[in-house]
Amino acid sequence: MRINSKQILSKGAQALTLALMLGVANNAVAGLNIFACEPEYAALAKELAPDAKIYSATTAMQDPHQVQARPSLIAKMRQADLAICAGADLEVGWLPMLQMKSANAKVRSTDQGLFFAADQIETLDQLASVDRSMGDVHAQGNPHLHFDPTRLQDVATSLTAKLIQLDLAAKADYEAALASFTQRWQAAIPQWQAKAAPLQGSKVIAYHSSFKYLFNWLGLEQVADLEPKPGIPPSSSHLASLLSRTKQGDILAIITASYQSERGANWLAERSDLPVLVLPMSVGGNEQSVDLFSLYDSAIDLLLSAKQ
Amino acid sequence: MTISTMRLSGVAAACALLSTQALANDPTLTNPAISAVLDGYYQSGERPMSERVEGFGLGHTELAMSANIDDMFYGKLTAVVEMHDGETELGLEEAFIQTLAMPGGLSIRAGRFLSDIGYLNNQHVHTDSFSDRPAAYRAFLGSHYFDDGVRLSYVAPTDLYWTMGAEVFKGDNMRAADEHGEREFENLGVYTAFTKVGGDVGANGSWQAGLSYLRNENGRMTAEEHGHDEPVADDGHDHEHEHSHSAQYTGENTYVADFVYKWAPNGNYKYQHLTLSGEYFRVTDFKPLEEHHEDHDGHEEHEEHGHGEEVKDYQEGWYLSSVYQFSPNWSAGVRYGQVDTQMMHGDHFDPQKLKETEVSLAWHHSHFSTVRLQYTNQQGTNFDGFEDDNIITLQYVMTLGAHGAHQF
Repeated sequence: MRINSKQILSKGAQALTLALMLGVANNAVAGLNIFACEPEYAALAKELAPDAKIYSATTAMQDPHQVQARPSLIAKMRQADLAICAGADLEVGWLPMLQMKSANAKVRSTDQGLFFAADQIETLDQLASVDRSMGDVHAQGNPHLHFDPTRLQDVATSLTAKLIQLDLAAKADYEAALASFTQRWQAAIPQWQAKAAPLQGSKVIAYHSSFKYLFNWLGLEQVADLEPKPGIPPSSSHLASLLSRTKQGDILAIITASYQSERGANWLAERSDLPVLVLPMSVGGNEQSVDLFSLYDSAIDLLLSAKQ
Repeated sequence: MTISTMRLSGVAAACALLSTQALANDPTLTNPAISAVLDGYYQSGERPMSERVEGFGLGHTELAMSANIDDMFYGKLTAVVEMHDGETELGLEEAFIQTLAMPGGLSIRAGRFLSDIGYLNNQHVHTDSFSDRPAAYRAFLGSHYFDDGVRLSYVAPTDLYWTMGAEVFKGDNMRAADEHGEREFENLGVYTAFTKVGGDVGANGSWQAGLSYLRNENGRMTAEEHGHDEPVADDGHDHEHEHSHSAQYTGENTYVADFVYKWAPNGNYKYQHLTLSGEYFRVTDFKPLEEHHEDHDGHEEHEEHGHGEEVKDYQEGWYLSSVYQFSPNWSAGVRYGQVDTQMMHGDHFDPQKLKETEVSLAWHHSHFSTVRLQYTNQQGTNFDGFEDDNIITLQYVMTLGAHGAHQF
């Protein structure tokens, strides 16, 4: 017994030393400094790294493809331990410039503190060859993947591995956060699917391929795009052709994202008597969307509102 | 010319080899990004010190290639093809390496690159909202100042963006005119130091302000030995046809202050945005030293000569520009700028002035194509023989290949 208690003591001492060391390491890091390119990844980081200092470079009211490499973003990236971005070229116009100007070695490579969500999953609409006459399309596929709950779960799992790689001392915390998120997320998915069941097979006209993953998941079909080509704003001749398409009478609604102009959609809506739904592109895209869960709720509720 | 043509085909061949691979994959920082810029125009006149001539012409036709070299270095090569008097010339505008992994927010760039002084200078001309740089840039920096040298930059770890840097350049393009070819120039001609701060104002606005200093060891003019050599001064007017990138008016010390403010509803640049920018240049210590000592006598002489106004001991220039993109397809801009320079005529200096008021309207079919109509009203006072003029420019600027950067 004495031997055992000694062993316990020494083990206890070891554990204490380890805990102290971890504590020190933890304090030194004091939570990672995370730069998220889009608000959905700021929200995901908040779920998975609650202690981190998180900054979102863009809001749901901004087109993430059209962001400028502005001074405030350089200053934030300069201080980041980890940059989380959608990838698949969504940020190609500004992320490389931010990396260059911020001179922060930590976030320059995916081996270290750079994380692309699109690298973790299979994107939709990948193209074997890209020609600009097709519009502003990217070979790596559609980057707006955060509206697919299964893909987002995979991203969450990979992101947790990245967090642990960068901040090994807080491994247990990250694992616990992932477990909590996974449990709530997996519980929510069947509820969303049940709620959205009436939407199955509905046809919509939408702006860009912003909600491709949402439609793919819930079984909606985007039969036409307000943009004549990706990245080209709606033209009057194109809208006129969409108007004749609506005459078939099978369209549920016209859908735009929170950062997109409603002008083209409204023009078409007035003439076709279809509702315009402005779906939140991300967290913060409308009042209801305060985190990833309420973002999904809000998007599904809005779609269902057109069904009634 | 043969050499140039061969070099050109070499670059083209290299691009062709790389492009199939690069474009099939993903032109980002990690793969070679290859792009070309096509710029063509027609204009009804010529702006002083401009690279663009009257009539049909091609602007900067650029071929650029950039990539991470390895995990330590990034490299970029920009070749510019220009037409001069019917001949094709190949120039290198950028050929630099930059460190990627230095600690503490430091980075070093070496080779040939655009100096980071001022606001516009580090940007490529094809991203401008007007067909030519402001007159101050054309007079004091040769439109855009790039050179062979090295730069050390530092970005502070603060929420307010704060960067500072220093550069050393060869400075050949910034040398004062050497009328007699006898001058011994310094090999390290140009030193610069700059700092910029910037941030956001609410959700809609962003700003940046900067101060720069450029020391030009070879910027001071030398006295003309045969003081009353008037034809020399007239010959000097030739430089309107000399499409080099050399600065036309130099001095030992140049000070630049710049600001830019951008506004977009909710910070969303897709549909509407406004850019306000302005810069001020002051160039001092340009008079020949000998001349300087006689300054007091000089003034009296000038008055006797009937030149009336006092000759300033600095040259200056500034511009204010406002560009509004009112739909994804259309943008309009207004710019006013002026330069006040001094032209050496024998033993005295004559002030000259150029004022430019410009309006531009641009149509953007996509992210990658722009067609621009620009009107310039210029008013010159003794300015290189340029008088009041109205110039219309119709221009296209299109990029192909890799996606360009949205520089602030």
